[in-house]
Amino acid sequence: MALKALDIYKLLPKKNCKECGFPTCLTFAMKLASGKADPDACPYLDEATKELLKGATRPPIRRVKIGVGERSFAVGEEIVLFRHDKSFVHPPGILFQVSDRQTDEEIRAVASRVKDEVFPRVGELLRVNGIAIRNDSGSPDTFGKAIRVVEETAEFPEVLIATSPASLEAALAECGNYRPLLHAATAENHEAMCALAKRFGAPLVVRARGIDALRDLAGKCEAAGVRDLVLDPDPETSGEFLEAATAIRRMALARTAPELGYPVFLDATVPGREEATLSLGILKYASVMVTTPREPASLLPALTLRQNIYTDPQKPIQMTPGIYRVGNPGRGDPLLLTVNFSLTYFTVLGYLESSRIPCFLLLVDTEGFSVLTAVASGKLNENLIRDSLQRFGVEAETGHRTLVLPGYAAPLSGRVEEATGWKVLVGPRDAAEVPEFLEQAWRKDATGGSPGPASGP
Amino acid sequence: MAETGEWTGTIGRVILGATKDEGGTRSVRYCIGGSRDLPFLPGEDPCGRRPLIALEICDDPAFWPAVVKEHIGPLAGDPAAWAREAERSFGADLVRLHLTSTHRRQAPGLEVLGQTVEAVLAATTLPLIIEGSDDPALDSEVFRRCGEAGAGERLLLGTAEADRYRSIAAAALAYGHAVIAQSPIDINLAKQLNILLREIGVPADRIVIDPYTGALGYGFEYSYSVMERIRYAALKGDTDLAMPVLSAAPDSLTVKEVRDAAPSERQERALSWEFQAAFPSAIAGADIVCVRHPLSVKRLRDACRALVPGGNGTAARGGR
Repeated sequence: MALKALDIYKLLPKKNCKECGFPTCLTFAMKLASGKADPDACPYLDEATKELLKGATRPPIRRVKIGVGERSFAVGEEIVLFRHDKSFVHPPGILFQVSDRQTDEEIRAVASRVKDEVFPRVGELLRVNGIAIRNDSGSPDTFGKAIRVVEETAEFPEVLIATSPASLEAALAECGNYRPLLHAATAENHEAMCALAKRFGAPLVVRARGIDALRDLAGKCEAAGVRDLVLDPDPETSGEFLEAATAIRRMALARTAPELGYPVFLDATVPGREEATLSLGILKYASVMVTTPREPASLLPALTLRQNIYTDPQKPIQMTPGIYRVGNPGRGDPLLLTVNFSLTYFTVLGYLESSRIPCFLLLVDTEGFSVLTAVASGKLNENLIRDSLQRFGVEAETGHRTLVLPGYAAPLSGRVEEATGWKVLVGPRDAAEVPEFLEQAWRKDATGGSPGPASGP
Repeated sequence: MAETGEWTGTIGRVILGATKDEGGTRSVRYCIGGSRDLPFLPGEDPCGRRPLIALEICDDPAFWPAVVKEHIGPLAGDPAAWAREAERSFGADLVRLHLTSTHRRQAPGLEVLGQTVEAVLAATTLPLIIEGSDDPALDSEVFRRCGEAGAGERLLLGTAEADRYRSIAAAALAYGHAVIAQSPIDINLAKQLNILLREIGVPADRIVIDPYTGALGYGFEYSYSVMERIRYAALKGDTDLAMPVLSAAPDSLTVKEVRDAAPSERQERALSWEFQAAFPSAIAGADIVCVRHPLSVKRLRDACRALVPGGNGTAARGGR
């Protein structure tokens, strides 16, 4: 269980010597309690006290780093059961699996995809994190050779999957310096696996079916001195995974079972159910997932789900308010208004671009709220629209005073006309209907009538 | 899974569809809701019923996703035949009919809408969800027509919103239907609308919450979290939120990523895009998940089935 700052203070030397870097022992105790200092910083603590403090002050779920260099990734350090309680922290690593029974060419092809395939999406680069090599042959030599083929292609995080310590040892001879994740220590082989993990400083997956068995085995690996563990509850079904992963997350956060305070591993290579298993792992607490090399058509949606779920809910992605040009609009071309929630912008932009109608898009500052929520909360109102038209000098750009509002902002249209003196057209609710709207309504209502772009000032 | 005594609430139940014995003509009736724990955890729902999968169809496919129209061909122009196939070939639990023809500037006469609803009711034996107009000026008549055409069938009528819920509520009360209560991705607004509906006489067991679902990659995470929060609040005892939830991400099949996909992989991209919002919605607690691509129905069903140990994964069909 976690200790409070005062409980920790009682264990400290109370010398206020400042050698830990903090002004007083009490300050040091408070830093320890919040996980922001290391007990090793105090030179006067005996080993037993240090161990006690490390157990009590470590984060509820340990940070584990996999791989080295640019593509390495860290998992763990999660602090909530639901993302709405704060945020999920480290997106799960997704790794493509190869077998050491495959040919060198096949392995190389997968490794090349892991190295090069990138999907740019709303300002981020989405990609898989690494490769998992499975020792299906059972032979240490063949396993080592497969690792060599991967290593020749590039340096990215690896998971080494083997039941035999001899095979893992052969693999580690090839990549032991690169912090590969070892899979897995089981009830049968954990002593040898722990020895390997310690020798190479590599993180180790602990696999046992059922929470109690997993807890017991993780405790043994901790006692053997392995610090970076990852837990594999070895589920038979998706339902079992959901139950086990939820229990692990809950007990870890409550600190009722320190042996479960590690990230969770999920083997998603379930024939026929891989897409759903990946989805479940992303939503429900997996930190390292292995999948077969999925085709881009279904890989991108999974990576997008990961991006969505690991977005900080308290920070909507925003665009800078202002006038955006689509195509090469000139005076008289349509002016559409929308909010500065980046996803709204990218959605509308996608349809406008495909319509090939040049136009102006005015993004007003709703602090990243969508149209629907900005109207509901009153953030999007006639005053904001009036001020934005002035602030961004819109009329000088468009040469007309006709504004298209999003369909969900229809209730504002009268007040906007009054406040701005501009003519307001209400567009469709659905961005998909915007091109047709521009094709028909804009031309009919705006150019036919007055004041419209063609006949306006 | 819940620690002893953690949850005090239960999700209320709503009945959809009426069989012959009950004065309707449906072959099944569904009882949704009833959960007592987080979605899909053991003990949550002993029957393993969730979610129901609704296939969405429409009476005017002008703006319907191209990938669906390519897949179903001439069905797109014939809502009755489309509904029949939803039941016979595509394996849906429910049909959700969108009266998209009312979105046109020249909406068809109300006679026609009533006939469409009647034709769809005759073509399928599944319980129906009917989505009325987009236009408040038409609401009252459209809902009255739909409600009347489906009297006694326990339809689910959509969609009530904070500024337009009276006419739909009136139609639901007059003809014995349930209503979808939609709020813009906000738990407090969802609660407020439920209270408004109750104040004008709509009982809790006739309300299904639609928290509005954004497409994957376009705000889906907000909807996912609102669904999780609604379930959590309901289990903690908030009866104003203890209704079943419906999720539909209507833009899934028309996002840029689908439109711009190479023709050879467009259908798979579309299906996967729809799946990765539909399945997470089920995990977040949705009792009804709506999809538009016929092939999504089985894909989603198989995925949900794997989550229910021992359950057969299909919806409980009280009438069979």
